[in-house]
Amino acid sequence: MKGLRRFIDKIKPTFEKGGKLAMLHSTFEAIESFLFVPDKVTLKGSHIRDAVDLKRTMAIVVLATVPALLFGMWNVGYQHFLAIGMEAAFWQNFWFGFWQVLPIIIVSYVTGLGIEFAFAQARGHEVNEGFLVTGMLIPLIMPPDVPLWMVAVATAFAVIFGKEVFGGTGMNILNPALTARAFLFFAYPTSMSGDKVWIVDKPDAFTGATPLGDAMVGAIDNIPYSPIEMFMGYIPGSVGETSTLAILIGAVILLITGVASWRIMASVFAGGLFMGWIFNLVGLNAYMDIPAWEHLIMGGFAFGAVFMATDPVTATQTTRGKYIYGFLIGFFAVMVRVFNPAYPEGMMLAILFMNVFAPLIDHYVLQANIRRRRKRWEREKVNA
Amino acid sequence: MQELTSIFVQSIFIDNMVFAYFLGMCSYLAVSRTVKTSMGLGIAVIFVLGITVPVNYLINEYLLGPGSLAWLGPDFVDVNLNFLSFIVFIAVIASMVQLVEMFIEKFSPALYNSLGIFLPLIAVNCAILGGSLFMQEREYQSIAEATSFGLGSGVGWLIAIVGIAAIREKIRYSNVPAPLRGLGITFIITGLMGIAFMMFLGIKI
Repeated sequence: MKGLRRFIDKIKPTFEKGGKLAMLHSTFEAIESFLFVPDKVTLKGSHIRDAVDLKRTMAIVVLATVPALLFGMWNVGYQHFLAIGMEAAFWQNFWFGFWQVLPIIIVSYVTGLGIEFAFAQARGHEVNEGFLVTGMLIPLIMPPDVPLWMVAVATAFAVIFGKEVFGGTGMNILNPALTARAFLFFAYPTSMSGDKVWIVDKPDAFTGATPLGDAMVGAIDNIPYSPIEMFMGYIPGSVGETSTLAILIGAVILLITGVASWRIMASVFAGGLFMGWIFNLVGLNAYMDIPAWEHLIMGGFAFGAVFMATDPVTATQTTRGKYIYGFLIGFFAVMVRVFNPAYPEGMMLAILFMNVFAPLIDHYVLQANIRRRRKRWEREKVNA
Repeated sequence: MQELTSIFVQSIFIDNMVFAYFLGMCSYLAVSRTVKTSMGLGIAVIFVLGITVPVNYLINEYLLGPGSLAWLGPDFVDVNLNFLSFIVFIAVIASMVQLVEMFIEKFSPALYNSLGIFLPLIAVNCAILGGSLFMQEREYQSIAEATSFGLGSGVGWLIAIVGIAAIREKIRYSNVPAPLRGLGITFIITGLMGIAFMMFLGIKI
């Protein structure tokens, strides 16, 4: 460790202003702060220092995705061996899934970080830690059978048009991971939805539909999975979205550390339940009749609520805005599932839709606050 | 009544003027700098659409459409003045916009000033003419349906412009690459918003 520190200190001047490799300054700095705690201190003004910086926040989110990731790897193998009718041991399942998911993760990180470094270098700002989370979330919301070049194209699109054109980490308006998925969803629909993509190397005779896919074609009464199976996650689906239990473990990590907003999470679930309840009351077809809570354990609802909707950059910033924002996400997600014959899953688009309107919600919440305070001030002025 | 509601909702979300047809882009891009002015322009567009579509509906029904002059007498059954619809629609729209302009100038001079040239330009806002032409093409059955379509399209346009105005206010201090500042980034945001609005694509009410 000490040798590494000494080596970095030795080559540091080469990358600083006037050094030979000054143009690679951002790259050097990113690697240094990845390896060591940065030694920079603020020079002007008084600051309250907090141990939670961007790096630690991002690391916690990555940590919180680990249960969903590990379960997802196991499930990819489990679904594969189930489909070809083979009994497989726990580790066999896991290794199969591991080797299936690992390349997706590597491609996502290499593409994304490559573009981030290139932009940072060209524009002369520092490389931010923002992509660490995005690069982890992208593989988790891909179908396990997705071609790797698609992952690369989608990641590139999301990082460039979703984030870098707005100025990088913290400036984007849409969640980059969901932008990547939406891009693939509309550009290559056959690789992103339907019954074919959820199980690796699936024999043709085996129906590989997700519960939501079954529900959309009207086979809602004979979904071959029980609620407890859907909760545990023994169902086909994107890599990380299937197990509600693993996602809830991640949610606990995020909430205890205070990284994610419990207001958003709770109100997303409330919104989904509310819309499901309305559909129960209307009850026009079999899909509307399924219990409202079952929506929360099917498909990507839990994953979106815990990891996507709570993204602090694209969500609303005001307290009251967070309730509205979360509630509408759950509301629209369930509405699209039941109402829209084009898409079996509504979570992705519901979150993107509310990302778009998050600034507007904030604007009106702020205006309402200003109006209320002005009124109070005027009243007190009259009284005084 | 249910029919009217579904036309209204459909024209707001599913057939949104901006994100489904990319109509009315010029004022959408140019006046969306602040939420306040875009709100004003949006309300003006709702007003103009809500009046011109039903008026043009009546004109189409009793003057221009094939066989619509039958009320004059049996000689006129075969008359079809459809080729005049563009010019008549535009004339109606232009006069309505004049009305709105005088109205706003009288009651809200501040808004009048901040809208500037774009207020008279509502007359050539393609969303407005598009509203009348869609009304003709989709053959709505009654004036109530036409009104509900006009108002719904206006509300959809208002939601679009107010949404992008809030985003542009938010990214005002973002470090956008210099060549993209202003219109460039606005086009990109519009595209991303279009992706989000595809949520409603395919819903049948």
